[in-house]
Amino acid sequence: MEQTQILELDVASLSDKLRARELASVEVTEAYLERIAATEPRLNAYITVTGEFARAAASAADAEIEAGRWRGPFHGVPVGLKDLCYTRGILTTGGSKVLANLVPDYDATVWTRLREAGAVLLGKLNLHEFACGGTSNNPHFGAVRNPYDTARIPGGSSGGSAAAVAARSNLATIGTDTRGSIRQPAALCGCVGLKPTYGRVSRYGVIALSYTLDHIGPITRTVRDAALMLNVIAGHDPNDSTSSRAAVPDYTRFLGADLKDVRIAVLRDLSDWYEPEVERSFDESLRLLASLGAVLDEVSIPSFKLGTQVTGLVARPEMLDYHQDWLLSRAPDYGDAVRPLVEGAMVIPAVSYIRAQRARALMIAESARVLDEHDAIVTPMCMTTAPLIGQELVRAPSGAEVPYLPTFVAFTGSFDCTGQPAISVPSGLSSAGLPIAIQIAGRAFDEGRVLRIADAFERARGPIPPPTLEDRSIR
Amino acid sequence: MAELTAETVMRVAREFFDYPMSAETAAVVAKVADAMLADARRLSALGLDGVDPPFSYAAMIAESERLRRRAP
Repeated sequence: MEQTQILELDVASLSDKLRARELASVEVTEAYLERIAATEPRLNAYITVTGEFARAAASAADAEIEAGRWRGPFHGVPVGLKDLCYTRGILTTGGSKVLANLVPDYDATVWTRLREAGAVLLGKLNLHEFACGGTSNNPHFGAVRNPYDTARIPGGSSGGSAAAVAARSNLATIGTDTRGSIRQPAALCGCVGLKPTYGRVSRYGVIALSYTLDHIGPITRTVRDAALMLNVIAGHDPNDSTSSRAAVPDYTRFLGADLKDVRIAVLRDLSDWYEPEVERSFDESLRLLASLGAVLDEVSIPSFKLGTQVTGLVARPEMLDYHQDWLLSRAPDYGDAVRPLVEGAMVIPAVSYIRAQRARALMIAESARVLDEHDAIVTPMCMTTAPLIGQELVRAPSGAEVPYLPTFVAFTGSFDCTGQPAISVPSGLSSAGLPIAIQIAGRAFDEGRVLRIADAFERARGPIPPPTLEDRSIR
Repeated sequence: MAELTAETVMRVAREFFDYPMSAETAAVVAKVADAMLADARRLSALGLDGVDPPFSYAAMIAESERLRRRAP
């Protein structure tokens, strides 16, 4: 099979071929390593490529599969980890100079589970420094670039994870999400990004941004692949006391269904403007959902209008707690964009943090009331498409220039506050060839229903053109 | 409402955290933190009367059990 054909296989298809021994993991791994070498000069998605480690794992996988000891859908399948995830014996930097030489002596649980499922680690992916931002313009390891237009950001903080999947330099990756950092880069890079319910996936061994807002989840090419990956990584972990004991179903059994009589709450009033093509794409997406049988209602969740603010007031003090010793001893090693965010938490009163945590309970209650009457909530994913690297302002339809970051988190942070599952699914490309997406959120631990709706939408939408890894911007 | 000043930021950093900060850095931090304090004031619009904070004894017990299982 040609390299290009191998790289176009999703996890489900590749797994079938590996199990049937039509393809060998070694062959697949070499194809991906060649792709990484070809694309990295343009993308900078990786901090560490684990070539020899991957080859050894692939060889071991092939031997096991040949001996009839198939471990499951990820056996011999290439994966990547955001470089927040501890990997024993492999550099784990957090995208930072502070941890530039850290080689952990244990694995994050999310990697342990993938490794035990037979996955092949291609490398550790670049990110916004310490996950504390939405561009992945990393001052220490270089900016990650969007495969759909390499002059633009891939989003963040899991920018490398999304860029690699989109560019076919990885097949399925792990990201983290505190205010949108799985869903937003997935949206900007034309991938699927799933933030599971808080506690669905163990945070053990993952460098924290916010103890009570961090979520770990998959970034993949298809909804089915996200379901397959969630099957592997979900479940209680005795090493993480916040991880849930809720049973883990087979998430793939929710796929392949229609949306007849599925009740969807449409939430769009968290912003009063969108790029026109983003708005058109969202309206088309709603029509598509309706054509599949869904019943749509416009709703409002008043407390969600302060979701961005609540996430900041929770995350920054927690981040300061996590970083305090490093900050006091190594402040100059922090990037100029991140250090003030950590320092700023020094002057935030504790009562503000407590009040923000109380606000989360109110947000959960208001969202739950909507979901008493509906099966899921659908929102636009972002208000704009990907800006240029270094661009700080975007133009609203009114002509006003506004900071770009709020346009990317308007719809995301609230679902981190409530902890409910939320997935970003591509809805199409803009006229400039930039990905646009919708978000589908559900009840806590109801990832199955969220995946069902996302899968039906994805199948009806049809394929999204892959990126060309060109600089397409008009300057 | 008074704006947070760089001087206040420097004093808090120094006196609460023993963390030296230049006036230039403090000015940047003051802007960042002032925005967060404004966000905090906006939370009063949510009507949080009767809403308890989600700090449960069960969560403390779960974490303590994890610590007990850790090797000494």
